[in-house]
Amino acid sequence: MARIHDMWRLWLRQNWWMTAAIVALLVVGVLFIHSATHLRTDRTRFLDIQQIRWAMGGMAVYWATIWLDYRRLRDAAWAFYGLVVALLVAVLVVGAKIYGARRWLTAFGLVVQPSELAKLAVIVTLATWLAARGRGATPPSIWKAFALAALPMALILKEPDLGTALVFVPITMAMLFTGGASWRPLLALIVAGALAVTALLSIVLLPEMLDMRPERQEALFHRVGLSHYQRDRIEVFLRPDSDPLGAGWNRRQSEIAIGSGGMWGRGYMQGRQNLLGFLPRTVSPTDFIFAVIAEETGFAGDAALLGLYVVLLGCGLMAALQAPDLMGRVLCVGITTLIFSHVFINVAMTGGLLPVTGIPLPLVSYGGTFLVSTLFTLGLVQSVHVRKAG
Amino acid sequence: MAALDAGAHDALRVAGLAALMAAALLLLTANLWRIQVRTVGKFDQDAVEQSTRALRVPGARGRLLARGGEVLADNRPACNVALDLAVFRRAGRWARTVDEVLRELDELRHIIGRPPSLTAADIDRHIQSRLPMPLIAWRDLSPEELARFMEQADGRPGVDVVVEPVRAYPQGSRAAHVLGYVGRAGGDAEDKRTYQFVLSESEGRAGLEKRWNKELCGQPGTARLDVDVTGFRRGLTVERSPEPGADLHLTLDLRIQKLAEAALGDMPGAIVMLDPNCGDVLAMASAPGFDPNAFLPVFSASLWETLNQDPAKPMLNRAMSEVYAPGSVFKPVVASAALSSGRVTTETLFECAGYAVIGGLRIRCWNTAGHGSVALRRGIEQSCNAYFAQAGAQCGWDAIYELARRMGFGQPTGIDGYYEVAGVLPNDAWKRQHWHEGWRLGDTANCSIGQGALAVTPLQMAAATAALANGGRVFRPRFVRGVQRAGEAAPAWLAPVLVRDLQWKPELARAVRQGMYDVIMSPTGTGRRARIEGAALAGKTGTAEFGVKGSGSKHTWMIVFGPYEAPRYALAMLFEQGDSGGSTVAPRVRRLMQSVMDGAEELAPDGSHT
Repeated sequence: MARIHDMWRLWLRQNWWMTAAIVALLVVGVLFIHSATHLRTDRTRFLDIQQIRWAMGGMAVYWATIWLDYRRLRDAAWAFYGLVVALLVAVLVVGAKIYGARRWLTAFGLVVQPSELAKLAVIVTLATWLAARGRGATPPSIWKAFALAALPMALILKEPDLGTALVFVPITMAMLFTGGASWRPLLALIVAGALAVTALLSIVLLPEMLDMRPERQEALFHRVGLSHYQRDRIEVFLRPDSDPLGAGWNRRQSEIAIGSGGMWGRGYMQGRQNLLGFLPRTVSPTDFIFAVIAEETGFAGDAALLGLYVVLLGCGLMAALQAPDLMGRVLCVGITTLIFSHVFINVAMTGGLLPVTGIPLPLVSYGGTFLVSTLFTLGLVQSVHVRKAG
Repeated sequence: MAALDAGAHDALRVAGLAALMAAALLLLTANLWRIQVRTVGKFDQDAVEQSTRALRVPGARGRLLARGGEVLADNRPACNVALDLAVFRRAGRWARTVDEVLRELDELRHIIGRPPSLTAADIDRHIQSRLPMPLIAWRDLSPEELARFMEQADGRPGVDVVVEPVRAYPQGSRAAHVLGYVGRAGGDAEDKRTYQFVLSESEGRAGLEKRWNKELCGQPGTARLDVDVTGFRRGLTVERSPEPGADLHLTLDLRIQKLAEAALGDMPGAIVMLDPNCGDVLAMASAPGFDPNAFLPVFSASLWETLNQDPAKPMLNRAMSEVYAPGSVFKPVVASAALSSGRVTTETLFECAGYAVIGGLRIRCWNTAGHGSVALRRGIEQSCNAYFAQAGAQCGWDAIYELARRMGFGQPTGIDGYYEVAGVLPNDAWKRQHWHEGWRLGDTANCSIGQGALAVTPLQMAAATAALANGGRVFRPRFVRGVQRAGEAAPAWLAPVLVRDLQWKPELARAVRQGMYDVIMSPTGTGRRARIEGAALAGKTGTAEFGVKGSGSKHTWMIVFGPYEAPRYALAMLFEQGDSGGSTVAPRVRRLMQSVMDGAEELAPDGSHT
């Protein structure tokens, strides 16, 4: 009895602001998945019901994780990391090809996206590694940390899934930063990264600007290793009007959707772009759900949505601040950065600030694996929170 | 925090992280503000533009009404069966959707009882270019077909009866040449810029339907179709209702029109009857005729081809679109010119020996025995060629040409109908241009008896007759006397147009009129067979040879006005073939004028009055 009572008290210590924000985001997600799919006649019409099931399962995982002492992850971290790498290799070999990329694994009637698990694995492993090194000694090696992240990243890049792969960079950086790494090499890394991006853009743009013959351009791109779809997306991002019906379609349509929302939106289930299918039906409940919300609720609605994320991220960083140990702290920072990266990339992409890349909006976009794994990571944040000192 | 040594240091780093995130989210919010609030309207417009199509909705076509208000051209509802393709959309290639539509059409075919007017290629074309519009599979269901459809197929998903207004001519072929007919409008270039789709609309192709098309059409309305990304219709909003076209109140008197058409029968010819006091066309008939309903609801090119290639030329409006040698009906014009010139008086005598020789040309008179000494009045009554050849020569062609021109020959009368030809009024310049030789005295003689190069329309002849009847006032003939726009209680009446007043001296006009009176009222007059009971008429017969000389091909004419004292009718009647104006046309004029004056409805087949 006493034990159950203790568990109950521990559970009650969760950060209720955070839980409220999560539930609110889940509700918003289900509502707008419904809005995006209710006119359909095929089985994707019931994605909202599906999402409710995932959300309920995910919440169960979330609340159960509170009782899981995050420190016990140390024991499983490396095994988990190994398993995820194995899954990532497997997905490249036997994964289901959807929309030109191998990202999904089907096992026991369950469709799993190993790249989502990989984020979790890297965060947990990195936290374990940083905490194991302890504080006070020499600052952690940035190269070792990046080597840890680089293996799954490379495998994900191979799928190809550039967006997901890129998420590893800010997560690793933030965790290193909080974990005591000296900030100079980190800054140098950022500068180097910026230079690399600039170089990449030059490679994409310069040949044409220099009037290079198409065959030579093609050969050059081949040597650099840029695939067609990557180049197209970068092109489209830089010159959105170059191909409004092809690769530029999603970007242009999501911008129209957001823009036509105005201050107050067209009203729930009233979005022209959404209902008439100009926001492609394959992505409107997933990666472009933000455009649906923005069109139907306007600036007022999407700013409020960002407000919910601010609450969520704030709670995550609070948990990091108040964490009882280094592992808890970097774990919370990693998870918070993960959520933040997704929100930022997704909203920036739908709003035309970044190239289109397949990054879902946490807790809102349709998608089972990501939803449950996100809720599990947030459960870990709560697990740190309820074990704070005092 | 006590749990960690470097608490403050770490807290700073977490706070730095928080600041970074906050800045990034602020950037996102600013971007959203820029797109959503700052650029107001632009994206909204883009969204509406790419998901809507403008549809041109025609206004109901105006009606054509006879003088008494009888409807000559109307609109009737035609029931079409239309398919909504969105319902038959099948995933995958479009061919699967086409198959699905064909399957449905096949089922409907058994219910309606006739095959649809569509092929797979038509459906394909519809998908390509008119996807959000209903696909019309059957046009103009008969009442039986409609009943079968309503009983067995009503409520079938995606299948609907769509009512479309179709032009109808309740009087059939009555006045068909005047009214004309309609076809499907192609839409002009401006419409194609403004509208993506145009609902089929009737467009005048001939007659008043064509000439007054703009007034009859009214103002088109606009509807907005909401389409999804594949182009299917999701909704329709009427943005601007169409305005119906104007009704035209015609000058045609349906009773007289019927009588005129009966008088023509099947013989190729034409009748024009004007009101000499204002130029109103009371009747205009041309035979043979056609039924404009045959072009409805869908204009058939093959039928048009057939009618157009018919040697009897049923589509030709002989009353104003074809020219004929006037023959003797031109003589009153010559008489008026001669008197006006002063070189010939009512007393001037010319010898008729059964012929006259003018400028080396021998002009034969129909009376081979000769009329002896002839003055103007008897010259007209007897239609003496010798008299007119000499009178014309004495007067000189220039004076005749001038008056004839002022009476409307050699140019269109300017009637508000469709397709009027000018005819030929020759003179020296004309002859030099066309025949490359100068005008001779013989030409004057020939033209003075209505032969030579002279060519007139029956309408010009009727207009000249009206001027002779009213003492020299030339009115522009007209079909439309009032235009009633939609929603207006009364039509806007149009004033008659007096083209010119020839300002004839009364005694001059009287002299020519008296001659024309004698033509009908004198026992020896060439047009005596046109005499009727109860009213005095005046007129002139005419017989004009055409084609190869001596071939016996003759146009036969008669012009008439009456009642003599206060004329209300001016008539020109022509048959393309006949013996002579006096024997072929005059009896028909008598029957026609008798019925017109009596107020009778129709002619009985034997010519007696009903």
